[in-house]
Amino acid sequence: MSSPPVTGSVAVPRHHGGPGPARFRPRRTPPAGAVRPGRRGVLSHWRQYLAISPFFLIFGVFSFFPVFYSLYLAFQRWDGLGSVQFVGLQQFRFLWDDPVFWLSIRNTLVIWVLSTVPTLFGALVLATLLHSVRRFKGFYRIALYVPNVTSIVAVSIFFGAVFSNNFGLVNAILGTVGISPVPWLSNPWLIKLVIALLMTWMWTGYNMIIYLAGLQAIPTQIYEAARLDGAGPIRTFFQITMPIMRPIILFTVIISTINGLQSFSEPQVLFGSNAANPNLGGPGQAGLTTLLYFYQSAFVNNDYGYGAAIVWAFFVLIMVLVVVNWRLVQRGRKS
Amino acid sequence: MDLSRRGFLQAAALTAAASGLTAACGGGSGSTGGKNGKNLTLWYWGGALSDKVVAEAKTHFSGQVKLTAASIGGDFKQKLTTTLAAGASVPDITGIKGEDMASFLPNAGRFLDLNDLGFKKIASQYLDWKTKLARTEDGKQIGFPIDIGPTALFYRADLFDKAGLPTDPDKVAARAGTWEEYFALGTELRRKVPGTYLVNNIGSVFTMAVGQGTERFIDKDNHFIGDQDHIRKAWTTAVRPYTLGLDAKINDNTWNAAVGKTLTTELGAAWHALDIEQAAPKTKGKWRVCAMPGGPANQGGSYLALPRQCRNPEEAFKIISWILSPENDARGFTDAAIFPAAPAAYSMPAMTGGDPFFGGQKIIEVFGPAAKAIPSSYEAPADAAVMAPFMTELSSIEAKGKKPEDAWKDAVGQAKQIARRQGVN
Repeated sequence: MSSPPVTGSVAVPRHHGGPGPARFRPRRTPPAGAVRPGRRGVLSHWRQYLAISPFFLIFGVFSFFPVFYSLYLAFQRWDGLGSVQFVGLQQFRFLWDDPVFWLSIRNTLVIWVLSTVPTLFGALVLATLLHSVRRFKGFYRIALYVPNVTSIVAVSIFFGAVFSNNFGLVNAILGTVGISPVPWLSNPWLIKLVIALLMTWMWTGYNMIIYLAGLQAIPTQIYEAARLDGAGPIRTFFQITMPIMRPIILFTVIISTINGLQSFSEPQVLFGSNAANPNLGGPGQAGLTTLLYFYQSAFVNNDYGYGAAIVWAFFVLIMVLVVVNWRLVQRGRKS
Repeated sequence: MDLSRRGFLQAAALTAAASGLTAACGGGSGSTGGKNGKNLTLWYWGGALSDKVVAEAKTHFSGQVKLTAASIGGDFKQKLTTTLAAGASVPDITGIKGEDMASFLPNAGRFLDLNDLGFKKIASQYLDWKTKLARTEDGKQIGFPIDIGPTALFYRADLFDKAGLPTDPDKVAARAGTWEEYFALGTELRRKVPGTYLVNNIGSVFTMAVGQGTERFIDKDNHFIGDQDHIRKAWTTAVRPYTLGLDAKINDNTWNAAVGKTLTTELGAAWHALDIEQAAPKTKGKWRVCAMPGGPANQGGSYLALPRQCRNPEEAFKIISWILSPENDARGFTDAAIFPAAPAAYSMPAMTGGDPFFGGQKIIEVFGPAAKAIPSSYEAPADAAVMAPFMTELSSIEAKGKKPEDAWKDAVGQAKQIARRQGVN
């Protein structure tokens, strides 16, 4: 098995002069004598390094290697058992022409927007409310956080039963007030809405805890000063709380982007009992997220090269979105 | 929780010991040294084999080898693929699902040729069309057929009676000999018993109609033929109940709730009887089975195979040919509703009895002839992947009201792309 070129810490290039890097050399090069104690320091801390090594070993074997092996696979054709065949950029060309891939990207983005916006907004509101609560603090915190530690599979099965088209709880309730059954799990938009709702349900509590921690770190003197200056609760929220919370909001936005775009279990379980196509995201593929499409291509259709191409193309997209988000949230910080 | 230094060290030592133990257990079967090993492992999934027969096999062969059977949960094909690719801890005997067989055939080198071990001599006991699906083009037999899934038409005799239609299996079969006659019957049923549907979804009709032919989506020369007349015809047949309003459009597990209520018929394989029985136990005695419109097809049915790393091929083959002998096959039918691939079993008492769920009907009289009449077809490794867009587009018709003609064009377009990606020209 030939492994891909690995770029690790060793790959820091040694500069042999040249115009650019030379400018930084004086600052970076440590004093001549400092190198040896440093190296001895590494060795003398071997116990500590040994103690933290399990993580790095497991990370290396189960994350680092597969990640780069998948990059290698993206340029091959492989059915998982037979020989690996180099096909160059063919998989990416297929990807470009594949309407299902673009559909999966659209689905993922819609689900992401539909889930992230209410999640973060709801989390901030809940955190602010909870911050001012005097009694039963612990209860509220636990109650709101529990959905996040519940198994996604269990929650998905539950949502699937509640929103079931023909015999679901929601439609039964709507029926009692005279509203005809809503096709929650077959209409393309409602499918996305249900998945987004599920993700909102799961992640609001998680983000709320982070916001709550941020809120508690704000000194009360600032609020007292604001009150003395005559600011009401709304104004305080937008002019004191929000600016101070900005780095925390930035963190949650980026984490939500990364998490929200990787929705897989939700549609997989929700439509797993679909008789015709268990892994195609339900009727009309409306719940087919990119990761589900990757799973289906690689592990159901045994097309590992194409699956790898899907995830790497998707990785690029996630990076772009993270940068865009970063810019958006950071904007106005200097002013 | 306070974690003392001692407590931490103890926990760490225990974890290390536990992981060492697992590694030792896992590594046990990795070697491929001798071919007369005394320990054999068998991988199957719940319901693939009769647990009673497997347990008996253990004692029956205890003099020669120690057989360890493991019921593997989850995605069986994926686990088997990974294990075979890793080449360690490979089971000596493994099950392979019928629908996955085609995708394992290109890597037949990973398995032993059962013909070398004596399958040739007993092959005539098993249905030829089923055996052929586990044989490579150059005649290498990698799968030993466990069971098959001959299809039939399940129908609610009580609702047929209510509509003034015949309820006797032979008469119903005569009234629903072709797909068109079957849909006409459905229209009549719907008129007389309002609120009922003939089929649960049109994807199931498509699957059956494709299975009735001798050609599928890719031919033996590795050409895509999914846009040709035989598939087009199956597609048109599938869309008919939708346009006639006979389609219940059920594509999820709400089928469980609908089967005892609004569905008048079900198209399914022999094992589907168990699904109906579990989903609608209250309809016991009201169902009957008859021949499927347009002739029988096959759905499902698995194999046992011996991976190349098998530690004792001779004994392993003896074990599987014992487990799958016609006599034990018939018992599998009684124990776990596994429909035997050996026709000799069909006349054994275990299979000829009446089924109370079907009002005492001897269902083997329907499934037995169906099993023997299933057409032999070629299934390419990429067949399942290429078929997927057709199923998806059919469900789009049901869910979004997509125009059948547009859906057909999209399905063919996507199927062609998948075929190209999978190396079909």
